[in-house]
Amino acid sequence: MVLGTRRFRTGSPVVEEWTRLSPFTSFGRKQMNVKIKIGAVALVASLMAGTVPAFADFWSDAGAKLKGVTLRGVTESTPPSNYIKDVLAPEFEQKTGIKVEIETTSWDQMYDKAIKDMEAKTGIYDMVYIEQDIVYAYLARNFLVDITQTLKGDPSLKAPDFDETKFTTFANYFKGANGDLFGVPMEAFIKIYLYRKDLFDDPKIKEAFKAATGKDLAPAKTHEDYTQIADFFTKYAKDNSLELWGTTAQAHTGHPASWYEFFESVAPTFGVYNWGIDASNNYAASVANGGTMNSDKSKEALKYWLHLRDIAPPESAASTWTEVATTFAAGRAAQGLVYGENAAWIASDAEKSKVVGNVGVALPPVADGVIAEAEAGKGYIGYYDGGAFGIPVTSKSKEAALLFLQYIGQDSVQGGWAVAAPRITNTSTYEDPGVKDMDAKLGGYYTMLKDDGKLFAGAPPYPFHAQVREATSPIFYRILTGEVGPDEGLDQMAAAAEAELQNLGYRK
Amino acid sequence: MQTRSPLIGMIFWIVLSFVTLFPIYWLFVISVKPAVDLFSSPSVFLDTIYWNNYAKVLTDETLRRYMFNSVVISSGNAILVTVLAFFACYALSRYNIAGKENIFFWTITNRMAPAAVFLLPFFLLFTQVFAFGDFKLYDTRIGLILLYCTFNLPFAIWTLRPTIDGIPKELDEAATVDGASTWQVIREVVFPLARPGLAVTLILTWVFAWNEFLLAATLTSFNARTLTTGLSEYVTTTGTEWGTMAAIAIITLIPALIVFSVVQRHIIAGLTFGAVKE
Amino acid sequence: MGSNRTGWLMLAPTLLILGVFGIVPFFYVLYLSFHQWNPFAANPNMIFIGANNFRRLVFDGEFLTSLWFTLKFAFFAVVSEIIIGYMLAQMLTRDFYGKGFFRTIHTLPLIVAPIVVGSVWRLMTTPSIGIIPYYLNKWFGYQLNIGSDATAAFIITVIMDIWHWTPLVTLTLLAAIVSLPKDPFEQAQIDGANRWQIFWHITLPMIRPAILATVFIRLMDALRTVDEVWMLTGGGPGAATRFVGLHIWKIVFPKTDYGYGSAISIIVLYLTLVMCWLLYVGLVAPRVRRSKVNADA
Repeated sequence: MVLGTRRFRTGSPVVEEWTRLSPFTSFGRKQMNVKIKIGAVALVASLMAGTVPAFADFWSDAGAKLKGVTLRGVTESTPPSNYIKDVLAPEFEQKTGIKVEIETTSWDQMYDKAIKDMEAKTGIYDMVYIEQDIVYAYLARNFLVDITQTLKGDPSLKAPDFDETKFTTFANYFKGANGDLFGVPMEAFIKIYLYRKDLFDDPKIKEAFKAATGKDLAPAKTHEDYTQIADFFTKYAKDNSLELWGTTAQAHTGHPASWYEFFESVAPTFGVYNWGIDASNNYAASVANGGTMNSDKSKEALKYWLHLRDIAPPESAASTWTEVATTFAAGRAAQGLVYGENAAWIASDAEKSKVVGNVGVALPPVADGVIAEAEAGKGYIGYYDGGAFGIPVTSKSKEAALLFLQYIGQDSVQGGWAVAAPRITNTSTYEDPGVKDMDAKLGGYYTMLKDDGKLFAGAPPYPFHAQVREATSPIFYRILTGEVGPDEGLDQMAAAAEAELQNLGYRK
Repeated sequence: MQTRSPLIGMIFWIVLSFVTLFPIYWLFVISVKPAVDLFSSPSVFLDTIYWNNYAKVLTDETLRRYMFNSVVISSGNAILVTVLAFFACYALSRYNIAGKENIFFWTITNRMAPAAVFLLPFFLLFTQVFAFGDFKLYDTRIGLILLYCTFNLPFAIWTLRPTIDGIPKELDEAATVDGASTWQVIREVVFPLARPGLAVTLILTWVFAWNEFLLAATLTSFNARTLTTGLSEYVTTTGTEWGTMAAIAIITLIPALIVFSVVQRHIIAGLTFGAVKE
Repeated sequence: MGSNRTGWLMLAPTLLILGVFGIVPFFYVLYLSFHQWNPFAANPNMIFIGANNFRRLVFDGEFLTSLWFTLKFAFFAVVSEIIIGYMLAQMLTRDFYGKGFFRTIHTLPLIVAPIVVGSVWRLMTTPSIGIIPYYLNKWFGYQLNIGSDATAAFIITVIMDIWHWTPLVTLTLLAAIVSLPKDPFEQAQIDGANRWQIFWHITLPMIRPAILATVFIRLMDALRTVDEVWMLTGGGPGAATRFVGLHIWKIVFPKTDYGYGSAISIIVLYLTLVMCWLLYVGLVAPRVRRSKVNADA
């Protein structure tokens, strides 16, 4: 296909010349394009005679209308985004002649820049990265272009190989109330339970575990099992003076990573969903008002997790997702909850990880009834995260941006992308041979994503995501340092969340 | 202190240099280790050296552009600020300007503002006020050069003022009596005597501009991005790439060192000129 | 002496630039501080609420804690930097072997970008595997954990700041000292003054303006520190290093609470100004008084 495009482009100056000399107004140009299209198809057909699929000219044709446009996108500097920047954008430029500049930046910066641009209606960016947790805030402010509607409105922009139904269910997070798509998914992960296969299979350790607990050593299904295994490993390592602990804990005392671990990965497994805030009940957070943020289950979950934190490696008190992943990769933890984007390199990249080939994946341990609730769609067992690319309504080149988003949403680009940066957004990608190979290396992570992805959920649909997080996290950090007890702390957090929601005008 | 043995002084400086250099040495250690080795028991010495971080950094064209931008912006800003501050200080020192002490104090207040909130008005200024047709101050090097004046000019004025005040007015007057113009007085009398102060001002304003992060991160996007904002790209949700970051930081020490060693010589120059005074 | 017009001309570019990029944004922020404005609130528009933001912050425990920690941080960091920096500057005025070399080494920390400084110190102090906690534990059995020990984390931020910024003090004071006229010193030596007397009666009064300028710069920079601490501790443990610059950053960036963030910024700006003014009056006024006394005598 690349070859075909290049050949076609050698023929295209004629077409370009024709367009440039054309005295037609923009109204007349539409008819012109039909002619060009016919001409181009004929040209390709005559040059290539059957080596190119019939729609191979779509990109160059669509691009011809928008020549000279430069698209600007902003995203976080992660492997999937870097793949867009380094591979997909140049490919797209080659095919369409539309230049794409992708600005990669840090997590906090990315939001700030996109929000300032859209709020001030500056129109700097034509594409913005939308993490699943911010999409509701953007939708509430009508910041984003309705992709479904725009494509319906102008079928000439519709790429033949782009189809909304080809995305996995993760795309549902980027749909508005009307069911229309507002962002093209570009990455999706689940936060899973990783354990060290080499340790869990070690006969000596198995024996010691059996002697200590009377049970067989296997990945935990319940919180009690998990705690028992963690306690065992921490003690076992201490007795044998190993640099090993029973669990990881993303328990930084000043960074929202810890807050996220509790509310997205631990509390749900105890049956406390959506941060304990009840959107249908006037956004209540405290038990007194009908919320669950400080419910008994929530308090139990917090104490469970605080105990794990205490028996985790000492760096846990200063660990964000970065350190948790590195701790696990360095072989310092026997098990832990790890984000999927990191699980992949921990399991497969020998340059970064000492535990390559020894990583097993499992579903997070849960309390009774939680799996059933998740299967019924009433709850979830962990975090399904990821992001999409959307078009700000303030963009000055929406058509070109739409072309690019369709380009990166096609099935045909997904295989290479998934292998380079382990993320899956289209159903067909699971069948890609490269992805299947990787799945084996990753201990079945992709299979789990495919089969059990439905048990996980993204952030709750709140337009006030960061606001409530920031209002409550200072109290959470104080719980972690022990300045406030866990029960009392959760009570305070529920009160703080309600106060902030009132202040923002969501809670009446 | 002359009585103290030079040996003790030497030992003191060597120990101090170790303390000063250790974090920089550690930066180097981080840059030549694979990430996973940062999370095992540390050792002060290196057994193997891993150059991949450097290979990655040196072949990255984007970083070269960032580096170029950083050099242009910090040098441009440092020179602009030093020149402006020199004249401003000369004016404040030698002319009877109404309310000059108030003006002097007011300049420093420009540096006091906590940056985070002021990013918003800066952003609006850069994208909507200073926007003429297709040109926007946003994402331009000149934009940052001008903007960095808000924190560097006050600094420069405050560090240069004592130096210029310290140059006896009698020297100016003597030169004027000899028939020198204002410009000649500044060039022949004040400038040479102010060199140590100017050198330090130049170095330090350069440093502040070189290290600035928040403003550059918000007000540039693709064309005028600087190295410090490039560094922040390595802090991500999939993990912070300490090694790459450290490798860049080590490489960027080189242009900074060159600027430093060139300019620092003038601080000594001041000593000899100082003897001419009175 | 030329006409005042020449003086104003020389000042004009400075006033223009500071006016455009200093005063205009200030008034914008002042305007915002009287509004409630969070783009992600139920009502995303600016709503005028008078002085409510200011009323709110007087009772805002988080803000007051942050302010208190910031003042402590600035005090310890700046005082140490001035004392150490002055001593080093004084030592660098004398000639000794390798002076240029040592001076260059001493200024190296300045050219490491703050976010890198924060990163290195974070990796050096990672509990149990950073080089500092590792050897503290090995040699002294002391467990340094900046993730859980608030005091230790606070001290580390102060040490980091001293490491990073003392060279600035050294350089500015060095420039001031080498610019001093030689006569008074020679005269004092002839009169038989000892080192302490020379320092107290000659050096100190003469470089007082330079010290003042340096204290100002360091003080106001310490009060708005963000990058280094953000990388090192993120403001933790708890609120121990959530200094006011970082506190404002968290309110304005992730929380997008522009109205309240503006109000806090205005107050912090005002407090910094008052502090600097008091220092200015306190340090400059005695000089004026003394010169009067000298004139009377």
